[in-house]
Amino acid sequence: MLDNLPEWLRTTLGDDFAFWLGYLTNGKHLTWYASVQYTLAAAAFGMLAALVMGLLGAAARNSRLGPLRLLGGLYINSVRGIPDVLFFLFFPLAFEQTVELVRAQAVCTPETLAANVGQWPPCDAANWLLGTTEYLALACVSLGIVYGAFAANVIAGAMNAVPKGQLEAARAFGFTNSEVLWRFHIRQMWIYALPGLSNVWLLLIKATSLLSLLQISDIVLLANRLGAPNFSRSAGLVHPDWRWAYYLVLLVFYILITFVSEKVFAALTRWASRGMSVASPA
Amino acid sequence: MDAILNDIALLARPALFNIYFAFASIPLGFVLAIFFALGKASRNKLIANLCSGYIYAFRGSPFFIQLFMFYSLALAFNLSLWKPLGIDWIVLNPLVLGPAILALNTTAYSAEIFYGALLTVPKGEIEAARAYGMTGAQQFRSVIWPHMIRLAWPAYTNEVVFLFHATALVYFTLPVIGDQQDLMNKAGELYQRDYNAFLHFPVAAAYFLAVSLCIFFVFGLVYRRLTRHMPGAAPMRFRMTRPAR
Repeated sequence: MLDNLPEWLRTTLGDDFAFWLGYLTNGKHLTWYASVQYTLAAAAFGMLAALVMGLLGAAARNSRLGPLRLLGGLYINSVRGIPDVLFFLFFPLAFEQTVELVRAQAVCTPETLAANVGQWPPCDAANWLLGTTEYLALACVSLGIVYGAFAANVIAGAMNAVPKGQLEAARAFGFTNSEVLWRFHIRQMWIYALPGLSNVWLLLIKATSLLSLLQISDIVLLANRLGAPNFSRSAGLVHPDWRWAYYLVLLVFYILITFVSEKVFAALTRWASRGMSVASPA
Repeated sequence: MDAILNDIALLARPALFNIYFAFASIPLGFVLAIFFALGKASRNKLIANLCSGYIYAFRGSPFFIQLFMFYSLALAFNLSLWKPLGIDWIVLNPLVLGPAILALNTTAYSAEIFYGALLTVPKGEIEAARAYGMTGAQQFRSVIWPHMIRLAWPAYTNEVVFLFHATALVYFTLPVIGDQQDLMNKAGELYQRDYNAFLHFPVAAAYFLAVSLCIFFVFGLVYRRLTRHMPGAAPMRFRMTRPAR
């Protein structure tokens, strides 16, 4: 890497710079930089799942069926009583065990099932080993379920905020009910939901720091490994405990993401509210 | 059924650790938050910028990372500072460090809530107080403070509940000493023993739910008292505008 630099540049920048450049671009650090993809993927797909869950939850909350309304209310309110990290650990485990239980019915012999009563997995053949990809997918679904409840609350409120006159006008023009729902109600709902959804996104971004709890080697786990006191037999102490510096970098990283997100959502709100008679959205 | 009762009994003591973390950090966070809210509203540009910077940094980053950072920072200074002073057993004690970091975090979130309330204190009442010749301190005590607390209370209630939820993260980072386990830690240990995820985690969730409801109830009573001069006032409704970390 350094050998490619011109000679005059190397001499002006000095040995210190060369050392730090070499240190910060070694293989472990490159792996660390690359692991940002897990965080960003979890945030993006988690938000997508949250929007889907939010629409479903809001539909249940505003539905005409009593039991469905109750279920929607329970779903929306559950996140206010139970920490997100508990959901985050529970859903992947619950899903994994359910799949293994279903598989056990198919692949296990009755003898092995009887021998393994009270143990898990029911038999070795039913054991499902999850890799990073599977855990990442489960993490996205968990994020979607937890933050979908927040999104459902936002969307249910926004659905009620759409002026009734707009829908009546659409109906008067002869649009069918489903056309009114999709082309007018949900189309106009987004602008009222945007400030709340921006909030949900900011929460979800921060929750992506929990990925390491699902055995994904994300930026947090790797920062912990890179910063830990580093001894080697030939070189002695390479560096003392630098973890706080690595976590400081992560802290700044998340603050920057928050800052950029706020700017993007402000622009998005301005764009979405063009031509709409919405009192200056925040 | 027996298994559930057994779990409820096993998780009772760990629940106390979560409650302790919340109770130890809330008073400190409350007082600091008032100062940071006043600081953010200050006319002194330097103080205002410092306070809003602190609030933005702590609200814009995950609590999980904050825990890791302050714990490793405390560890890094162990040999050079805490050990020679002989206070390493206090500084590095999870029962002290945990509430301290929680307090730093809740200060930022609560300060933003109080700052928002401060901006909506009726201007006319402050002008009336000034017209009566009240000093700044008198204005604050008899006009600004009562309004601010009443306006901020529903949002602050939410913040306290979500702070309680954040205590679930403490022992993912700080060392568990002996049997000083919290709910998540103990539930995880029980799960490792018999792999019954559908029993232990829901019982832990029930504990969180029960304590959250208690907090909502008690804070609702306080809110009734804060609004006792407003007979027609609507009872406290909780919104989820700015929760979790």
